[in-house]
Amino acid sequence: MKSNKSPEEYLKEHADEARAAVTALKNSSNPVIYVGAATCGRAAGALETIAGFETALEENGITAEIRKVGCLGHCYAEPLVIIQNPGFPPLLYQKIGAGEAGILVRSFLKDGSDPCYEYLIGALEADENFPTLMDYPRYLYEKRVVMAHCGLIDPAEIDHYLAVGGYESLASGLKKGSEWVLEEVKSANLRGRGGAGFPAGRKWEIARQVEAEEKLLICNGDEGDPGAYMDRTLLESNPHQVLEGLALAALAVGAEKALLYIRAEYPLAVKVMESAISQAESKNLLGANILGSDFSLAVSVFQGSGAFVCGEETALIESLSGRRGMPKLRPPYPAVSGFAGRPTIINNVKTLSTVPSIIKNGAAWFLDIGTPDSPGTAIFSVVGEVEYPGLVEVPMGVTLEHLVVDVCGGIKNGKELKAVQIGGPSGGCLPASLMDTIIDFDSLRSVGAMMGSGGLVVMNEDTCMVEVARYFTDFTQGESCGKCTFCRIGTRHLREILHSITIGEGLPGDINDLTEISEAVVAGSLCSLGKTAPNPVLTTLRFFRDEYVAHVEGKCCPARMCRTLTAFYIDLEACARGCDACVACCPTESIFTTSNRKKAIDQEKCVKCGECVYACPPEYDAVRRVSPPELIPDQGVEPLPENEKEESEA
Amino acid sequence: MSDKLVTITVDDKEISAPAGSYLLPVCLENDIYIPNLCYLEGMETPPASCRLCLVEIEGRPGPQVSCRCLIEDGMVVKTNSEEILKLRQIAFRLLVSTNDGSCKSCISNRSCELQQIAKFLHQPLRTKRLRHIDRAYPPLIDDHPYLVYEPKKCLLCGRCVYVCNNIEKGYKLSFAQRGMDTIVSFFGSDLDPASAFCKECFACTEVCPVGSLSSKEKWKAFVDGLK
Amino acid sequence: MLNKLLASLDESERAAVDDEEYAVLKAVAAELPSVKRDVLELIPTLQLIQTKHGYLPRLALRMVADHLGTTVSKVYGIATFYNQFRFNPPGRNPIKVCLGTACHVKGGEIILENFERRLGIKENETSEDREYSLERVACIGCCALAPAVVVGEKVEAYVTPSKVEGIITEIEVRKEMAAREQKKDEE
Repeated sequence: MKSNKSPEEYLKEHADEARAAVTALKNSSNPVIYVGAATCGRAAGALETIAGFETALEENGITAEIRKVGCLGHCYAEPLVIIQNPGFPPLLYQKIGAGEAGILVRSFLKDGSDPCYEYLIGALEADENFPTLMDYPRYLYEKRVVMAHCGLIDPAEIDHYLAVGGYESLASGLKKGSEWVLEEVKSANLRGRGGAGFPAGRKWEIARQVEAEEKLLICNGDEGDPGAYMDRTLLESNPHQVLEGLALAALAVGAEKALLYIRAEYPLAVKVMESAISQAESKNLLGANILGSDFSLAVSVFQGSGAFVCGEETALIESLSGRRGMPKLRPPYPAVSGFAGRPTIINNVKTLSTVPSIIKNGAAWFLDIGTPDSPGTAIFSVVGEVEYPGLVEVPMGVTLEHLVVDVCGGIKNGKELKAVQIGGPSGGCLPASLMDTIIDFDSLRSVGAMMGSGGLVVMNEDTCMVEVARYFTDFTQGESCGKCTFCRIGTRHLREILHSITIGEGLPGDINDLTEISEAVVAGSLCSLGKTAPNPVLTTLRFFRDEYVAHVEGKCCPARMCRTLTAFYIDLEACARGCDACVACCPTESIFTTSNRKKAIDQEKCVKCGECVYACPPEYDAVRRVSPPELIPDQGVEPLPENEKEESEA
Repeated sequence: MSDKLVTITVDDKEISAPAGSYLLPVCLENDIYIPNLCYLEGMETPPASCRLCLVEIEGRPGPQVSCRCLIEDGMVVKTNSEEILKLRQIAFRLLVSTNDGSCKSCISNRSCELQQIAKFLHQPLRTKRLRHIDRAYPPLIDDHPYLVYEPKKCLLCGRCVYVCNNIEKGYKLSFAQRGMDTIVSFFGSDLDPASAFCKECFACTEVCPVGSLSSKEKWKAFVDGLK
Repeated sequence: MLNKLLASLDESERAAVDDEEYAVLKAVAAELPSVKRDVLELIPTLQLIQTKHGYLPRLALRMVADHLGTTVSKVYGIATFYNQFRFNPPGRNPIKVCLGTACHVKGGEIILENFERRLGIKENETSEDREYSLERVACIGCCALAPAVVVGEKVEAYVTPSKVEGIITEIEVRKEMAAREQKKDEE
């Protein structure tokens, strides 16, 4: 039914209601506790935290509301809690377990006097008594466009999204027409955030121009990169932003059917999205005749069964069709002929999540962020050896150095940065000397890496680059669909060679073979999984060739990470008599007492797990790691004679 | 395909063929051999999976698969550039590095397409350039009523799966597992006799380029003959 | 429907299925009629069985094939392509060691080995008493908490070899307590 009201008027009714409800919550005379309860928060114990608050509130007779919110991206500080206590600005706390929850309730909510500075990160709003979040160096470089509301709004309630202007872009898109939406996204030069960076607007235009009875829009949430989780975070933390972007894209393309393809390993994301869809439908923001217009969109969720290759568009479509997810040669491109032969547009979660802000603020605003060829922001999951791992959103054009040092606090434990692995299994390893590389699609590609999914692993001097290449090759090899020769067998050979090298069985010709096979796999593979699979090998060969040579020729792992090539021993000079700290931690009982009542490692039994390094009290710091194992000095170790052992135990 | 003829140049030879044909069959018909395994005549969209038929086409970046390349007027093709030869050789070495069994005791000895390709590429059937990769399969799978399958010989070209699935009714061969573990499967032949109703057309064994899939009867006779 | 499928089991097939699996098959037979007969439903149907029962029994593949009008070999081909599907019943305490990038760099492999040593099973195996099963998973998205392990539904963060011991001990203690409770109830 077409209505006389404009979509904007239609939306305003919902939005006014929503704002009233959210304002009431904000101005509530009772405290409101927001707990970050996305998957990562739950892993860190957010549900126990909530239980802790509930118990403490009851014990202290305090009425307060507890809300589960999504993820702010400060993963190092989970579980995160925001407390809105009347008379105070909203305050963000870190590492709040059930015990800390109790303390906060008693000291802050009950007595009202002590805001527990020891757990505080900062206030969300400017306040003279508290440091604000914006004062942290991280926020000087970060620019939150896509993640602006993540962790601050309740993903289970559409009102929270409506209250911050949600679905306004959809309403104005409906009013101004599909052509206008397409032109706006095209002139904003929004490039696909799934990795390859193909302009979304151009893709949409292709599908729009195809005459077809039905067109399909798919949101690709099959995040399979082992080290990236921003898509999941966006789905769990701000589901309606994804849906609004999806609806705008469908409008521009002329699709009336849309699918969210989400990994089955992300059960919470699936649940959140399903509930968001039904809420949006109930307010006529999805479904038939959206906001009284003649545009309709039916949205459903499809769960991906776990195959990395299904991130590839043609493989994703195969799996939707109930077949093995094996990629097909393009053309035809899915935008022309995809699912069941229909024009099918597949956009990444991040791409779609960016669309509402472009429509709201205009293409010119978007072009102002980032670099001329890669406008907008990039979301990275920065993990590994940094002080503050987590999700960050920075404008394109920021250097890797700023990202790692200024935003994420630099390398942990005063160690040296060695390399960053960027872009996941299709990406590459860049050395410290390239840290001034600018983050955008083309700059990263020019140095052999890739924006990829946005996974960024920071590695220090203790990480072996051959081993890192082996790890990623092992992953892609295992995820190869098996269809084409180069990827199926070529990546397997790469893995075998890398494995041999890391266990000291590398052959003289191996380094050349790695290069030759890698280049053939890049040139000859059918799909982008194969074409990019050798990137970790090629970049480590390019920047860390010395390490390969050391492994092959010297049987030595310079980073002392490859276990076959490394050994542990206890420096008897440093070891303290009578200390047993390492003995208790050893999982294979390989540590014994020497004749002078110090400790030594039985090399036969040692599995080189490194646990004793951490167990040894820092004041002694007696466990040493060497590569190759022959470097263990002869310290004349004798085990304590049996009879003395009994004596000492007695 | 249309009746209109277009002219292309392949390795300095001019060829006329109907517009809209795929390049590979056009070359083969004109006595320009390009190695191939997964292609079968009449396929609407060849899978382009064996990657042996790569060629260079002027004006296009990187090697292109000729089995899926539609010819265009004035197209200039090179099937024997140094880069292409190298890629084909590597692809061939990769294929044979996972293969087991000796030609002498193989049912398709001398009619084997892999032997022909080896000859064409001047490559040995056992490569010393690469480590051998042992696929974790039994040497013989014979629980099908009419077929035997020697998976260690299989190149996973997919021809058998293709022809079986293009026969209107009956039991279907399928790929199972993934990546290096991929195998042609008739899972269910012992499990569900009704659905395993194979038509005994043996189209699958006829298209197998290497004698990995054979009729049980012929295979038995062959093995007896060896003794 | 249910009777037809189950009755079609011949004697040797029935004998090869233990009571537990027979119960699963019965449940699957009861669930299938509500599934739309469309090949597009194949993967969602397998997911339904996998999620509910933890694995896909061999004969359940046949039921799905029959219901959706396709062949068992096709269903098998699809089920074996995707990581999500298992063909053996999992342990009561399924342990999934994350070996995503961050966990790998922080020693996930060593954690896996410790579980293998402690439980006496290798990855992708289930202990004889069906108490534990062990597998590696590629990234559960808790990279900042690496190395991570999922025990049952619970994510364990910052796992070390000594914490492996703690995790198993905790499960054993809980089991012991449950057994005592049960004994008490029986008395």
